[in-house]
Amino acid sequence: MRIDKDTLGELYGRVGVGNQTMLGIMGNNRDVSVGEIFMIYSQRDGHERVFFFRVLGLENYLRQVDDMARVAGTLMVEGDAYLSGIERNMLLSVDGKMLGYAEKIKDEWKFRSPRRLPDHLAHVYRPIAGTSDEVVQEMLGSQTDGEVYVGDLQIGEGTLDVPIMMPSKYLAMHVGIFGSTGAGKSNLMMVLIKSLIDTNLEAVTNPQEDLPKISAFCIDPHDEFAKGVDNYGIQNIIESMDQNTRSSLIGDFYYLTTHLSATQKEIRRYGRDIRILWNEIQPRDLYSIMEFSSEMYAFIEQVYSIHHENWIDTIITMNEEEDDIGTTKGTLRAVKRRLKFVERSPIFIKSGQSVLGDIYRAMESGRVLVVNTSLMSDMEQFLLTTIVTRTLSDLRRALKSSGNLSDFERQAQSRLPNSFFSSIKKSARSFYGVGGVADDSPVRDPRYLPVIQITVEEAPSILNPRLMRGQSVFKDISRQGRKFNIGLLVVSQQVSVLDNVILSQMNTEINLRLGNEREIKACIENASVNITGFENEFRVMSRGEALLTASYRELPLPVKIPLFDDVFERDMDRYKGKSSKKKVKHEL
Amino acid sequence: MLEKILTDQFRKKLKLLFTDIQNQQDRRDEEEFAKDEQRIKTQLLSTVDPYPPDVLLDEDFLVAAIDGSGTDNLMLLDDVRVHLFSTASILVNTNTQAEQVFEPIRTELIEEELGEQPHLETHWHSGVRYDASKKLAETLAEVYPVKDIANLVLPFFKDHSGGSISAYSDFTGTEYERRVPSLKDISSLISRERILTNPIVHEEIRKVSEYAAAHNILTSKFMPKYVMLDGAMSVFMHHVFKYPSMPSGFMLRELASLARKENVILCAVSKNHTIPFAHKIAKMARDVFGEGAKWFCHLPCSSDPGGGLHIYEDRTYIPPRLAVPYLFSFSRDNRPSRIDFDRIWWLETIFVKDDPVATRNNEKALFRELEFMSRDARWYGYPVALALAHEQCKLSYEDLRLAREICRDVRIEMKLDSVKTEPYRADYNL
Ligand SMILES: Nc1ncnc2c1ncn2[C@@H]1O[C@H](COP(=O)(O)OP(=O)(O)O)[C@@H](O)[C@H]1O
Ligand SMILES: [Mg+2]
Repeated sequence: MRIDKDTLGELYGRVGVGNQTMLGIMGNNRDVSVGEIFMIYSQRDGHERVFFFRVLGLENYLRQVDDMARVAGTLMVEGDAYLSGIERNMLLSVDGKMLGYAEKIKDEWKFRSPRRLPDHLAHVYRPIAGTSDEVVQEMLGSQTDGEVYVGDLQIGEGTLDVPIMMPSKYLAMHVGIFGSTGAGKSNLMMVLIKSLIDTNLEAVTNPQEDLPKISAFCIDPHDEFAKGVDNYGIQNIIESMDQNTRSSLIGDFYYLTTHLSATQKEIRRYGRDIRILWNEIQPRDLYSIMEFSSEMYAFIEQVYSIHHENWIDTIITMNEEEDDIGTTKGTLRAVKRRLKFVERSPIFIKSGQSVLGDIYRAMESGRVLVVNTSLMSDMEQFLLTTIVTRTLSDLRRALKSSGNLSDFERQAQSRLPNSFFSSIKKSARSFYGVGGVADDSPVRDPRYLPVIQITVEEAPSILNPRLMRGQSVFKDISRQGRKFNIGLLVVSQQVSVLDNVILSQMNTEINLRLGNEREIKACIENASVNITGFENEFRVMSRGEALLTASYRELPLPVKIPLFDDVFERDMDRYKGKSSKKKVKHEL
Repeated sequence: MLEKILTDQFRKKLKLLFTDIQNQQDRRDEEEFAKDEQRIKTQLLSTVDPYPPDVLLDEDFLVAAIDGSGTDNLMLLDDVRVHLFSTASILVNTNTQAEQVFEPIRTELIEEELGEQPHLETHWHSGVRYDASKKLAETLAEVYPVKDIANLVLPFFKDHSGGSISAYSDFTGTEYERRVPSLKDISSLISRERILTNPIVHEEIRKVSEYAAAHNILTSKFMPKYVMLDGAMSVFMHHVFKYPSMPSGFMLRELASLARKENVILCAVSKNHTIPFAHKIAKMARDVFGEGAKWFCHLPCSSDPGGGLHIYEDRTYIPPRLAVPYLFSFSRDNRPSRIDFDRIWWLETIFVKDDPVATRNNEKALFRELEFMSRDARWYGYPVALALAHEQCKLSYEDLRLAREICRDVRIEMKLDSVKTEPYRADYNL
């Protein structure tokens, strides 16, 4: 099988010098930019290989000149001097990194780390959109496939029609999104949310194929996702769905907010108020988000051991004078102070209607929730995320260690607040039982349940080393989440301040433009693929451009994330069921 | 070794040597030069009156240049040496009308007409007796486009005899009559058979490859105004036979006569030359014309008005047979270079009998163009087409290393023995 070299793109130049990772290419002085991908065709001993080369640095180079300064001097001194055919004699010396190579073995393209070198003077091709797409897509199949669309392969300033996907099974091994303000994090989140919806749509429309479903609890600190940053938002996707599609993809809500009554009418139809009962909160939820002294900790544990799920109410109403538990006034006051925000919060309520059960059911059904936290304090937001994450993981953990539904129920009961578990018990049995909901029905493996992505926005304030010293549900999830199929999606402007445990467990990073050299360095160090040498590249990235690195891939992928508005406009008809599509035709 | 070189002893030895040279050589030449000084200053030297940088030529023209490079040691297989030659042809267009001065013609266009650029050629011979000359003759016959022996040798005799020999029948009654049987094929034109060392073989093939490339340009559709060669137009003559001792001598004359026929100016430029007192002439030019002046200086031969110069009276190779050399300098920073023209062309086109002023004007017009084509900032003072040809043909150390590697690769691929191809001394780490 010979590669048709014409499909690789335009012939650009030749390989000059190089070693395993860095290469120098000489080529025509065309408009080349840092970040471009070149392909180097090499054939040796009957093996055809296509090496992928990323431009990291450029230098103009005048052929036949080793002393530019002298030539410049001559041009100055000798007023009648010229440079003949200078355009054609201008070469570009391109420094860059070998990303790896594709090789076809038994009709299948494999991609390998750069363990070998292309031949000296091998031809270098520059991919062209419209020509190279198909062959690149084929060669990079192993590096780009998956269910969740992120963007398209970027080659310099343009893109190829090579969609970059993330496999859903790796979402539970945690994803990081890093980028400074304005780098395009919010737009990327919206694109991802759409991709999740699309993945679920695929699963729902092809039930016989057993396709994965993905749930996500998406914190939206600026309330942008529903309405969108520019023209369209998630709400537009929901509205473009026909009744059936909508009810199978989002049920009857996707939007959570602190004040539903203040929400725009169209969105309100699919919204719910965020309300969590005090008795759904556990002491470890608070340990996850703030620091407690050992006295305070001992005191809380003691109250909890006696009053169980009513511990918050008990402490809040405890009379400081008649200390029946035997703690100091100081400790009690300090704990009360820490609980103050719970007491005052409109979303953590002593009694009333909780939304936690609905969140749980949504997450076990493959749904995406947009959680407007713009009117919450940081503490409220962190506590909410913590409770949701801990509740979901407790249930899946119980499931994981059970053989049948009665096992599960016992396990769950011991982990979760009583009243909460009672409220979702029936649903849980129907999600988890195989072939029925009898006590002795075997249970499902969490790996075959929807992947649950929990986004942690403003990650540094919650995933910092100080808070992570204690018991943190996030530390727990970052280490064990994959067993329960729950992953974190960490969104942060900074990498350097995040806790190492979290960073080291992360297997996919989407690195957008970064703010400063320190973050660039941290990002390069943290990446799951060796991207040393990419500093320049980060320095010239524009908004919406990213470098996707993943431990399960050899190739760091330059991705252009599309504008949400564009993908929405492209796909908006996809959400109408077949019947409604027909209707449109009739109308025409 | 180094200790010895660093000693005062060694320095003393050198001092003695230079004193010796100074005493014998320079003194005598000094005297000779004094005799020529006045004539050089007043008659032979002249300034170039350069075109302004933004000149628009009435007729833009093409300048072609050829240069070659190579190695006589691409590979050594016992007593067989493999030579590699690289020859490049370049064409530039004065293109003043389009304000793209001296724009090179695209390589694709050149290749379409003249074949792959640079052109690569290989050659080998063994140490077996007569093999060197046999193989050399084969390669030269293969390389040079003129295959008919009469067409190849007659131009020399015609030029040399002042037109009296223009056919084989004209040899009758001349000193060449006896030699006619030896003028039947290329191999019989190799009269230095016994001294065919590798460097001489190499030099000969390289020269002929360049002449062949020039020949192809002259017969191509390009029709340049100039064809420039690298080097001198020297022809080594056999002292007894009185004709060139190697085929390249005949070929150069054949090339020159073709150039004349096609109305093309054929010339050869050498940066390093063996003109004695070139530096003195340069100093004189600076003194007369000023520091930054561009100048040229005719080096006459004995049959020119006024005769040859004293300085090369005993140097028989200057001026070369049937060539007219000039010294020139177009750049204050460089030592003067030499340019040779075909004497027959020169007599027809530049020289005006009994009219030194007209001759000088013709020379000035010629050097004005040459100077104009030598202003590229990369090689200021040297013709740009030649510089480009040089750049294109040169085999760098790295190129050679790779070429040798490929040799080895090919041999292995062909399942020939995997003989070592590094120099023998490498075996002993020397
Ligand atoms: N992929 C993209 N392509 C083009 N423009 C984008 C892209 N992503 C974001 N933008 C634009 O950049 C601006 C900031 O994007 P945003 O997603 O809000 O950044 P962040 O959340 O990182 O601060 C928005 O106006 C948006 O339209
Ligand atoms: Mg944002």
